[in-house]
Amino acid sequence: MKLKLTWLLTLFMAFVMQLSFGQEKDITGTVTAASDGLPLPGVNVIVKGTARGTQTDFDGKYSIKAKAGDILVFSFVSMKTTEKTVGAASVIDLSMADDVASLDEVVITGYSTTTKTKSSVSSVRVSSETIENRPNASFVQTLSGQVPGLNITTSTGQPGGNSLVQLRGVGSINGNTEPLFIIDGAPVDEDNFRSLNPQEIASIDVLKDAGATAIYGNRGANGVIVIKTRQGSYNQGLKVNYNGFVSYSAIQGNDYNLMNSQQLLTYERDKGRGAGAGATANKGFRPVRDFLTPGFPAIPENQVPMTDAEIAAAPNFDWFDYFFRTAVTQNHTVSLSSGGENSTQFTSIGFSDTQGILVQSNLTRFNVRSNVTGKSSNDKFNYGLNLSMNYSKSDEPNNIGSGAVNRNYVLGSLLSFPYNTPDQFGIAKPGVIAAPSVVDTPFFLIDRLQEFTRFEEEVKIVASVNANYKFTDYLSANVVASMDYQNEVLTFGQFPNSINAQIFGGNNERITQDTDRVFTYNQVTSLNYNDTFGKHTINLGAYTEYFKAHRRFFGFLSRGLNVLTFAPGDGAGFIDDGPNDDIFVDDVFATKRDAGLFSYFGSLDYDYDSKYGFAATVRRDASYRFADSNRWATFWSVAGRWNISNEAFMDGSVFNNLKLRASYGTAGNQDITGAGPFSAFAETLDLFTTDTGYISNQAIFLEQVGNRDLKWETIAQLNIGVDFGVWNNRLRGSVDYYKRNTTDLFQSINLSATTGFTQQFANIGELENRGVDFQLDYDIFRANQPGDFSMSVGVVGNYNVNELIDLPVDELPGTGRVGGPLGEYFLIRYVGVNPANGNLLYLDANDNVTETPTTDDQVWTGKNILPDWNGGVTFNLDYKGFFLTTQWNYVLGVDRFDSDYAGFVDVDNTGSFQLSADILREWTQPGDITDIPSPTAFNRNSFTAIDDNFLYSGDYLRLRFASFGYNFNQDILEGTGFTKARVFFNAENAITFTKWRGFDVETRDNGGAEYPTPATFSVGLELGF
Amino acid sequence: MMKKIKYLIMSLVAVLLVNCNDAIDIRQVGLLDPVNAFRTVDDLEAGLFGLYSRNGGIPNTFGFDITPEIALSSNFCDEISIGAGTGGQGFALYDFVLNPTSAASSNFWIRNLSQNNRATVLLEAAQVIEVDPADQARFNQLLGEIHTIRAYANFELLNMYSVDVRNDASLGIPVVDFVPPLTFQPLRNTVGEGWDYINSDIAAAEGLLGPATSTDRISIDVVRALKARTLATRGQYGEALTLANNLLASYPIADRTAHRDMFLDNSDEGIIFKLQRVRNGPFDRQGATGSVNAGGWPGAVYTFADILSDSYFEMDRKVFNMLDPNDVRFDINVSPASTIDPNYMTNPNSFATDKIIPAKYPGSENQPLMNDLKVFRSAEMLLIAAEARVGANNDLAGAAQLIKQLRDARFGSSQPLPVYNSAQEAYGAILDERRVEFLFEGHRYRDLKRLGVAGNRGIDRDLTDCNRQSGACTLAANDFRFTLPIPLSEINANPAIGEQQNPGY
Repeated sequence: MKLKLTWLLTLFMAFVMQLSFGQEKDITGTVTAASDGLPLPGVNVIVKGTARGTQTDFDGKYSIKAKAGDILVFSFVSMKTTEKTVGAASVIDLSMADDVASLDEVVITGYSTTTKTKSSVSSVRVSSETIENRPNASFVQTLSGQVPGLNITTSTGQPGGNSLVQLRGVGSINGNTEPLFIIDGAPVDEDNFRSLNPQEIASIDVLKDAGATAIYGNRGANGVIVIKTRQGSYNQGLKVNYNGFVSYSAIQGNDYNLMNSQQLLTYERDKGRGAGAGATANKGFRPVRDFLTPGFPAIPENQVPMTDAEIAAAPNFDWFDYFFRTAVTQNHTVSLSSGGENSTQFTSIGFSDTQGILVQSNLTRFNVRSNVTGKSSNDKFNYGLNLSMNYSKSDEPNNIGSGAVNRNYVLGSLLSFPYNTPDQFGIAKPGVIAAPSVVDTPFFLIDRLQEFTRFEEEVKIVASVNANYKFTDYLSANVVASMDYQNEVLTFGQFPNSINAQIFGGNNERITQDTDRVFTYNQVTSLNYNDTFGKHTINLGAYTEYFKAHRRFFGFLSRGLNVLTFAPGDGAGFIDDGPNDDIFVDDVFATKRDAGLFSYFGSLDYDYDSKYGFAATVRRDASYRFADSNRWATFWSVAGRWNISNEAFMDGSVFNNLKLRASYGTAGNQDITGAGPFSAFAETLDLFTTDTGYISNQAIFLEQVGNRDLKWETIAQLNIGVDFGVWNNRLRGSVDYYKRNTTDLFQSINLSATTGFTQQFANIGELENRGVDFQLDYDIFRANQPGDFSMSVGVVGNYNVNELIDLPVDELPGTGRVGGPLGEYFLIRYVGVNPANGNLLYLDANDNVTETPTTDDQVWTGKNILPDWNGGVTFNLDYKGFFLTTQWNYVLGVDRFDSDYAGFVDVDNTGSFQLSADILREWTQPGDITDIPSPTAFNRNSFTAIDDNFLYSGDYLRLRFASFGYNFNQDILEGTGFTKARVFFNAENAITFTKWRGFDVETRDNGGAEYPTPATFSVGLELGF
Repeated sequence: MMKKIKYLIMSLVAVLLVNCNDAIDIRQVGLLDPVNAFRTVDDLEAGLFGLYSRNGGIPNTFGFDITPEIALSSNFCDEISIGAGTGGQGFALYDFVLNPTSAASSNFWIRNLSQNNRATVLLEAAQVIEVDPADQARFNQLLGEIHTIRAYANFELLNMYSVDVRNDASLGIPVVDFVPPLTFQPLRNTVGEGWDYINSDIAAAEGLLGPATSTDRISIDVVRALKARTLATRGQYGEALTLANNLLASYPIADRTAHRDMFLDNSDEGIIFKLQRVRNGPFDRQGATGSVNAGGWPGAVYTFADILSDSYFEMDRKVFNMLDPNDVRFDINVSPASTIDPNYMTNPNSFATDKIIPAKYPGSENQPLMNDLKVFRSAEMLLIAAEARVGANNDLAGAAQLIKQLRDARFGSSQPLPVYNSAQEAYGAILDERRVEFLFEGHRYRDLKRLGVAGNRGIDRDLTDCNRQSGACTLAANDFRFTLPIPLSEINANPAIGEQQNPGY
C-alpha cells in the first residue's frame, strides 16, 4: 500500500478485526506531547478491534479496560497515531509525536483530492465553523468576505434570495459569470439555494485557477465551488447534535434627510401643488363616476391652501415602520451520526422560518439529509449515498425594484406622505374605482397587502451516488451519478376586490398557478491510475461526463374570481369567460425543454519527492447549444509547483512552508446567455412562430434569424501564486496573481434596422480580468493549552482590474469602451448649480462649463458598478471557552446611481411623493450657492439618466459578522450527558461605514426602491450528546 | 486475474464509449422552420395578421400601430401640458429635447424599417405559394394589404426623416425592397427614390385590393386614402383633391351622435380605416406610459388608469380655449373629471385647480383607455380637400366652404362661413381646424411639418403650462426638430449613415 493516506484513513485502516484472549484489567497512563512534554487532553484511546474507547482528561490521563495482548490505539488531531500492545504492566504512558504529514490539509483538485503540499492549484477551503449558525437562509451569502477573489453581492433582503457570486471579476458580458456549484458530486443550480440547510455543510472548496477548473471544462470557466456535507465516521458511537438560534432583523438606516409633514406641507403650499396647496386627490378615493356621460358642468374645485395651524396639526406617520418590520427567524437542526465496521451514516433534520423585513416576505423550510457510506470488508469497494430532500415555502412579493406605485411595497415606504396615515384607507376603500393617482401610493399598497398573495413552494432533492472499485493497489474505477430535482410551484393572485383589479378592469382579478420542474442528471465515470516508485508519484485519470437536463413547466392564469368562494390554490371561485365580452379569458401555458452536454477528458498529476509537481488536463466538450455550428471544443491546462521549503537548503529557515505555483489553461463557457441550461436553445436556427395576432386571429411571426457561427466563450487563465508559512506557521498566507482573458464573448452586435432587426448575438470581443488575491493570517497569541488566551487576525482580499480588450465597436455605451472596464458609465459631467440663475451646469466634452450640453458631451468616466477591491478582515479571540469572532467586509471602487435620492430632491415630485429636506436648499435668487437647482431651472430634466448627477460611491466597510459566545468545558459537562455545549450571540451587518445614503450600500443595482438586506442579531445554542 | 481483466475492459467501455448523442443532439419541440411556415394562402393570411400585430415576445415586432405618432404629436407639439398626475413622463420631449438617443428617434426608424422587412418577407414567401384559382381573389387581397402596410411604413419613414419631402433630390431614406443579409449597411437614397418605392407599393395595392368589407381591414379605399395623404404631403394637390373628393362621397362626415359614438367604438361612421383593438389582443396593454414607444392602449399615452383620474398629460390650455363647449369635439376630448379654473393664468395654484384631462380614449369593451386607432377618417379627406383647393387652385372660398361644412356637422348647427384673404391665412385656418379635429390622433407633428411654414403656424403652447416647466413654449415649424434624427443605434451599426445625419443633430 503505497498511497499516502490521511490520518483519518489510517485510523480506519487500524480497525481490522483481531481475536484476542486474556483477562481484562484497568490500564491507566498519561499522554504528553513529545514536542513540549505538556499533557494532551482529548486524545482518543481505543482498544483495537473493539468499539471500546475513552479520551484523556484535562491532565492527559486516561483509564481503560484491556487484556494483555490487546492493542491500544492512541489518536489525536495532528499527532502521529500510535499503537501500544498491552503487556504485563497496567500503566502505559505515551509521548505523542507531531504528525507532519497530517498537518497537511486535504484539498480538492479537480475530481480528486490531494494534500495541500502536493497541490499545484489555487484553491481555498472554507470550513463549517465559519458557515454554521449564521442566519442567512442561503449559505452563499455567508461566504462573502471569506475567500480572496470571491465577490458575493446580495442585492435583495428577500430571505433565501439569490446572491451574485463572481470569482476574480466578471468573466463575461452576457454569459454566465457565476461559478459551478457541486454538492457532494452533484452539479446544482447556482441561483437557488434557499431550500438547502447551511448547517449540513462540512466544507466548501473554492477552486480558482485554470489548473483546478479546466477539468470542469464546460461549466467551470468562472471557478468551481465544491461543497461537501457532513458524514459519519467508521467505528463511531452515535453522536447527536442540536443547533438552534433565534434572530431578529431590521432595516438598515438611511441618510436621506426626509421631510416631516410640516416641512412637506409647507413646501407643497409654496409650490402650489399637493395637499399643502389644497389638492384633494390625496384625501382619499373619489366616488365612482360614469365617464361615458357626455357633457358636464366644469366647476373648479374649491382648493384652499392649508393654513399654518392646519399644517402644524398634520400627523407624522412613519411609513418605513409600516412596510418594514422587525423580522424574527428561528432555525433548528438536529443531526445524528454513527458508524460501524463497514458503514457510516449521517442524518440531519432541519427546520427554519425566516421572516423578511419587508411585509409579505418569508421563507419556511424543512430539510432532511441522509448520508451513507459503506465498503467491502476487503476495502476494495467503497460507495456512498448523499441524499438531501428539502421543502420550502417562500413568500415573495414581486415588482420589487420597479416603479409601480401600486405594486412595489418598498415604494410605499419611500414615497408615501408622512401626513397620510393608514386610517385614511378605511374611508377610501369603498368608492374605490375612480381617480386613483400616484399620491395614493400607500393606499394601493395597503390594499395589496390584503388583496394579493404570491408564494413559491419548492421541493428540491439533491442526490448523488458514488462508487469506487480498486482493481489493484494502483488502478481503480469510479463513478459519480447525481441528480438535482427542483419542483417549484408558484401561486400568485390578485383578488377581485383589490384596487388593481378594479382600476385596470376586470381581468386584473386573477390567479396564476404554475409548476416548474427541472431535473438534471450528471454522471462522471473514470478510470484512475496511481503509482509511486521511488520518489516519483504519478496519478492518471481518464473520464467521461454526461449531463442531461429536462425542464417541464406548465400553469394557468385564471381571470375572474368569485369573492365568495375564492381561495388561492383552489378553483371553486373561478369565473368562466362570458359570451358577451372577453374579460375573463383564461390563459394556459406550458414549456418543454431539454438540454445536454457530453465530455471526455484526461488528467495527469506528477510529484517528485514532494518538491516538484506537474499537472495537466485536456478535455473535449460538446454542448447541445452548438449542434448546428461548433459543437465540440477542446480545453486544456498545465500547472506546476516547487515546494521550496522542502529543499535541503531551506533547513533551519523561518519558513516552514514556501511553495511557488504556476498554471495556465482554458475553459469554456457554453451558458452564453447566462440564463441556465435551457436558455439560448435555438440560436443557430432561422425561425418563425405562431401566436395571437391582429384581432385575435392566429398569426405567423418571423421570430429570429439564426447565427450559424455560434460557439463557446473561452476563458484562458494564467495564475502565479505563492503559499507560505513562517515561524511555525504563526504567520501564513498566500498571494496569487492572475490574468483571465475571455474571448469569443457572446454579445450583441448592432444591426442596421434595415435588416428588420437591430441586434444579433454573436461571438465577438475580448474581456480581461487581472488582479491579485491575497490571504494572510497571523496568530498574535497562541494557546499552549486549551483555554489559554489566543488571538489571531486575518485578512483576505482581491484587487481586480477589468478591461475590455475588444468590442464590436470601440465605444458601446452600456457595455463600455475598448481599454475601459465593463459597464463603464458614459455620462455628461454635472458640476453644480449656476449661482446666477439656478440652472444646472455641466462640462462639455472640451471641459467648458455649459448649461446646454448635448449627447456629444457624454464622456467615459472610468467608473462602474463593479468593485476594484473587496475582501474581509477577521479578528478572533479565545479565552477559557469564551470566543469572539469578527469579520469586517470591505468593498472599494463601486459607483452607483442613487435614483431614490434623485426622486427625493426632484421638485417635480412635489405634491406627488415624499421629499428630502435637502430640497429646501434649492436656489431661489441670484448669488445663492447651493447644490439644489432652481425649481424652474429649464434644464433640470433635460439630461436625467445621461448625466452623472446622483452617481455616488458605493464603497463601504461593514461589520459583516460578529459572534460572541462560550463553549462549556468538559469538566462542567461531565455527568450532564452532554459532550458539547455552546451558546453564542451573533450580529450580521451591525455596523456599516459608507458615504452611500440609501438603505443598503451592498445592492448592486442602479434602479431604486430595492429590497435592502437587513441587519440581523441572533442568539443560539449548540448541544452535543 | 481473468476476472479482473474482464472488469477492466468493461470499465473502459463504460468510460470511453458511453453513447453521448442524446445529450448533444437535441431538437427542441415547438419550433417552426421557414420551409414549413408559408405553404398555403391561409398561412399567408396568418402572416398578414402577424404583420398587423405587435408581439412582445419577439424583438422588433411592432405591428401596425399609430400610438407612437399619437404620443409624439401630443408630447412634442402643443396638445398637452404636464398634468397633476405626473410621475415625470415625457418631460424631456415636452422641453423640445430631441436627439439621436430619444425614443422618438429610434421608434419611428426601427419600427417602420421592421414593418418594411416583415412585409417583404411575406411578399417573397407568397411568390412560391401555389394558389388555387378559387383562392386567387383572397390571395390578391392579402398581397394588397401587405403592399399597403409597407407603403404606410415607408411613407412615415420618409416623412419623419427627410427634411424636405417635396425636394426629390434631397436625402431620403434607405430604400430596401428585398430581404437583406444581417450585415447589410445601406446609405440613404434620395427622396425621389423613396417616393418611387412608396408609389410602386400603392400602385400594386390598388391593382390587388378589393372593395371595403370592414373598416378594420385594408381595402381599395384605404390605400386611396393613404395615397391622398401622400399626395398632399408631397404637394401634388390636384390629384389629392380628386382622390379626397371621391372618398368623401363614399364616407360622408358623421353627425354629432355618430361622431361621439365613433370615439366610443360604437360606430364606424366617418371611418375609412381603423386598427381594431380588442380585449386580450396583442395591443391590450398599458404600453410605455407617456413615451413615444407607447405600443398599447392609446389612452395610456396620457394617463395611468382611466380618464377620471389625474393624468400625467393634460390638455394644453390653449387648445382647450379653442374648444367651444357647443362643439361635440369638446365632449369628445375633455374628460368630465376635469376641473376648469377661469383664473388659471393668475392663480398660483392652477396646477391643482385647472386640470383638463384628455378623454379621447375613454376605453372600450370594459377596458379603460383601450380604443380602436382611427387611421383614416373622412374628416381628413375633407381637410385634405380644403388644403388642396388652396394648394392646387388657390380656391380660398372653396376651402372656407369645406371648413364650414365640417364645423356645421360638429356643432350640429349652421356656423358662420369663414373668410380667408390669403393662402397663408387659409392654411393657418386649416391647421387650426386640424388641431381641434385631430386632437390626440397623431397628426399634429406632420401637419406642422407639412403646412406650418405656409400657414404661419408653429408649436404654440399656453404660457401658463410651458412656463411651469422649462419655458419651452413655441417652436417654429421650420425648426430642425421637425425632422427626426437618425437614431444612435443605427449609426452604431451602420457608421457610414452617421455622415448623413439630419442637420441640427
